[in-house]
Amino acid sequence: MVCLALMQPSAEQLATAWAIFQGLLVEALPFLLIGVTLATLARAWDPRGRWLQRLPSGGVAGALTGALLGFALPACECGNVPVARRLLASGAPLAAAFGFLFAAPVLNPIVLIATWAAFPDRPWLLLLRPLGSLLIALAVTALLLLLPESGLLTPDLLAERRLVQPLGEVSLLERRAGLLGPEAALTPPAAPGPPAPAALLDHGAREFLELGALLVLGSGVAALLQTLIPRDLFLALGQAPTLSVLSLMLLALLVSVCSSVDAFLALGFAAQVTPGALLAFLLLGPVIDLKSLSLFGRILRPRALAITLAAVALAVLIMGQWLNLALL
Amino acid sequence: MIPWPPLVLAVWGLVLLQAWGSGRLHVLLQPDFHALVLVAGLVLVLLALAGLRWPAGISRRRPAPAALVLLVTAALVLAVPPRPSLSTLAANRGAADPGNDGLTFLLPPEQRTLTDWVRLLRQQPDPRLWQGEPVRVSGFVLAQPDGPPSLARMMVRCCLADATPISLPVRWPPKDPPPAPDRWLAVEGVMGVERHQGEERSVLLVRRLRSIAEPARPLEP
Repeated sequence: MVCLALMQPSAEQLATAWAIFQGLLVEALPFLLIGVTLATLARAWDPRGRWLQRLPSGGVAGALTGALLGFALPACECGNVPVARRLLASGAPLAAAFGFLFAAPVLNPIVLIATWAAFPDRPWLLLLRPLGSLLIALAVTALLLLLPESGLLTPDLLAERRLVQPLGEVSLLERRAGLLGPEAALTPPAAPGPPAPAALLDHGAREFLELGALLVLGSGVAALLQTLIPRDLFLALGQAPTLSVLSLMLLALLVSVCSSVDAFLALGFAAQVTPGALLAFLLLGPVIDLKSLSLFGRILRPRALAITLAAVALAVLIMGQWLNLALL
Repeated sequence: MIPWPPLVLAVWGLVLLQAWGSGRLHVLLQPDFHALVLVAGLVLVLLALAGLRWPAGISRRRPAPAALVLLVTAALVLAVPPRPSLSTLAANRGAADPGNDGLTFLLPPEQRTLTDWVRLLRQQPDPRLWQGEPVRVSGFVLAQPDGPPSLARMMVRCCLADATPISLPVRWPPKDPPPAPDRWLAVEGVMGVERHQGEERSVLLVRRLRSIAEPARPLEP
């Protein structure tokens, strides 16, 4: 039935998908703008990354610090990608940047207040959502740190990062520009001191354009799929302990709503699903969904992205399953 | 040389401002987010003007692929306004929990909106409590798999992606065929009781109905 719907969408379904696409995009663009603005301000404030490089570099301490940065820089999953990218480009420790990328969409005041407002009668959710998010950030960061930087970050980001990293940490041959290498003659070394406003503006605009185009792609896929696949399909498995967790994880991936409002969406079906499935929905969506998946491609290489997706999914499944065992 | 980045920023700033000014946002987003879209539109236009005033000196003859994607998308968004089929959207989703915000038993029955009625029936599901009360509501026709179509509204917390339906069961005049899905109707009648799947439930008994245009704000916050 789903396959048939996918092959032959009706005019009403296409019109509805187009409207959902516009809704997702118009809602996400302001948050993306906030994220790019924060990233540009960080670039203006600390162009050589001297302060950001002082963030703790140890796996656990770094990831914890990055995760807690969400309280200082509240952004949803669209807005936090440019900020995390700026952290990495400024030479900040990988653990801190990944901790921020994975946990900040939940560990920020707006999302926690929204969760409390939607579920005042479920105090365990108010505790487990931020705690689970923190654990996921720690686990996925620890896993990604096993890979070398060159296997993790996209070539553009890596090149930008190499330029600001202290010479003691990076081989001269690893720098694509500035001192050695084929592009050294073409690309002038980065000017010392803060960049000019025109250069900042141009850099911010280009970043907004690149992430905006990816957002268009992600929103389009999310809108089409959620119009064609009936939501009841996911809720039908509502009381099965493991399958309900899996199906709500898929729903979170598909629906792609902002982490600041997903608790209100979950309120609509909370009574129909297991507690573990509810927690899984609220944990997975803020870390990764179809809309933000394309944005992640600006930071992580495809292999690292696949590992991230698999690790986050596994961690969420285990937590949802554990909660179902404890409460059911 | 065309300064592509400021141009794209300006176009998307105008797209957001047009969506805000034309009322298009009422079809797409919960009202709480409208100010955010307005501010984002203004900021994008200002940034575009600043970009034109202080060019970075790096211009290209051709736009980058990302700029092209955004320009084409902006043109399509401006040219093709959102006209969702609410019944298609609702059929795909489970019923919403309307919550208890603004729930009042003091409001005269004929002044209750469809959302007020659904909230009341959830809170006090005994259909005998409401039998005979006058009803005057509006909504769109939503086909039901297990019976005649109901009258519905869409509730939205953020954007259309999370919109979910709330609906009232309706007993349509027997002499006319049931109305087609997606039609907007203003309905007057009384609340009655019917047996559905072995249990009694409230049902709106239609006395009079007329077609209305889709409201400018079709989504319920």
